[in-house]
Amino acid sequence: MIRLEGLTVRVGEFDLRDISFEVPTGGYGLIIGPTGSGKTTLLETVAGHNPVRAGRIGLHGEDVTDLPPERRGIGFVYQRYYLFPQLSVRENIRYGLVRGPLGPDVQRQRVSELAELLGISELLDRGISGLSGGETQRVALARALAPRPSILLLDEPFAAVDPTTRHMLRRELRALHERERITTLQVTHDFDEALRLGDLVAVLADGRIAQQGRPDEVFRYPNSAFVARFIGTGTVLSGTVERLAAGDGTPFAARFTSGPLSFEVIAEREGPAHAVLRPEDLLLSRDLQPTSARNHFAAVVRHVERLGPLTFVHLDAGRLLTAAVTSASCDALGIAQGAGLIVTIKATAIHLV
Amino acid sequence: MTEQLSPGTVPRHGPHLPWQRLGLAALGAVLVLFVVGPLLRLLFLATPGSLAEGFRDPELQASIALTVAAASVATLLAAVFGLPLAYLLARRRFRGRRLIQALVELPVVIPHPVAGIALLLFLGRRSTVGGALASIGLEVVSHAPGIVAAMLFVSAPLLVSGAREAFAGVDPRLERVARTLGDTPWLAFRRITLPLAGRGILAGAILAWARSVSEFGAIVILTYNPKVASILIYDRFTTQGLPAAVPAALVLLLVALAVFGLVRWLQPAEPR
Repeated sequence: MIRLEGLTVRVGEFDLRDISFEVPTGGYGLIIGPTGSGKTTLLETVAGHNPVRAGRIGLHGEDVTDLPPERRGIGFVYQRYYLFPQLSVRENIRYGLVRGPLGPDVQRQRVSELAELLGISELLDRGISGLSGGETQRVALARALAPRPSILLLDEPFAAVDPTTRHMLRRELRALHERERITTLQVTHDFDEALRLGDLVAVLADGRIAQQGRPDEVFRYPNSAFVARFIGTGTVLSGTVERLAAGDGTPFAARFTSGPLSFEVIAEREGPAHAVLRPEDLLLSRDLQPTSARNHFAAVVRHVERLGPLTFVHLDAGRLLTAAVTSASCDALGIAQGAGLIVTIKATAIHLV
Repeated sequence: MTEQLSPGTVPRHGPHLPWQRLGLAALGAVLVLFVVGPLLRLLFLATPGSLAEGFRDPELQASIALTVAAASVATLLAAVFGLPLAYLLARRRFRGRRLIQALVELPVVIPHPVAGIALLLFLGRRSTVGGALASIGLEVVSHAPGIVAAMLFVSAPLLVSGAREAFAGVDPRLERVARTLGDTPWLAFRRITLPLAGRGILAGAILAWARSVSEFGAIVILTYNPKVASILIYDRFTTQGLPAAVPAALVLLLVALAVFGLVRWLQPAEPR
């Protein structure tokens, strides 16, 4: 278990403030945030490389806040891997075992076992200079796993490899995690990765956790315009909420207005707010459809972005919106640049933050 | 996704016209010839006879042995006291870091006789430090330790800056990885940083050693006798004339060239 309680850290001019996050034993947690939000600093702090100003770090119930990195039982893989350039692949993987309690035979066995698991057996006697991105990543992972750490920290481990390798490594890592049940904390700037890999996600913004929870929950219900924009939930509009009927119950029926656009929504408070419109909740049609949804408005297609079976339609309705439709219905509706469409969205599908 | 610019993206040759390039080359050639010319002139005096004379001369032999020994001790002292400093300067951001870095490099701009005078005042028998050293039997001025002191003063900056750059060239994250793999700070330093910085440190040490061997100005004030090689050459020149100084000068030149070759060989090739 990784348990961060009110962690406050200052590295140079950068602050991490009041970070509380917990990854259960055997779980897979993700820290996601834009460049410069403090992700790597947070991970290095968990590993013990940065002095903690306030708060505590617990690993498997033990307070390790004041322990040096070498006594935390952590495996760490950096985005740029940092293999030791003067050592061979084998020596890199064995690095953490050499001074451990295992005899040379057991060490050798552990190295070959990991090499086999990660498919790098034939690289063992090579130097590290000629390795491809994917190979380097596997060696770095094997090196981190060799001393059987109880915690694995991964700093954007897939950022430096090509997309095909990335998908493969992601699957392998997930399988490896299932097999070894190592409590893992990974940093990424790619929410897609969080959806695919994580049990838990924390969105980091400017040194603070903006939101945390299950990845699909965070994705569906972002708690701020920042989170919604960053993880790409959908179009984020800023505007104001006005109560429609008298009374003071919550939630209440309301009108959300953003410039020329206005929707009926279900709101919990009045005043300035952001509305998050998920692409899949925007329904497109040629003519006005008789449905129970009461939010209809006209829009012009600005740009059509086909991504295989899914097509993103970028629309101008006084505000720029993005809708997702299947490519088949895109063809059926004859959606093309410049076409005029009717956009429909249910009041309940509009997420206010 | 961040895109890193590689240093190779800058064109190596500016958009010079042919005649401009020719002009630049001509100016450069003057300087190169000015450096190479005198050295070649001296080397052409090297006949088997003159070299044998130089190597057989017992006074020159003793003087070169003294020079080499004193330079080695000075370099060792610079390493013992300078490497930790170089590591701190490369790795830690602390108040006064830039000041200390400037202070360490100060000897480079001080004229060597001035350094000699300052050392004489600081280490002379009547000074506090010199008196204390003399009381424990360490005579500095006019003795071999004076040579070492002068050499250390003028050469330490080379070792410290060389080592500082070498340490700075090793990404601290390599050490951090080693720490998570179970190394104490000292082990991570010994297993990762030191081997990776080793070439650069060695090059800095050899430069410091060579600087010590070539020192004259500070030593001549601190310890004229026993004579190091540069002082012996000067002494022969002033008392017996040019021909008497040439064999000694030749031997010292060959030592210097050998060291220069070694340093060039140790330095990593320039990136293309």
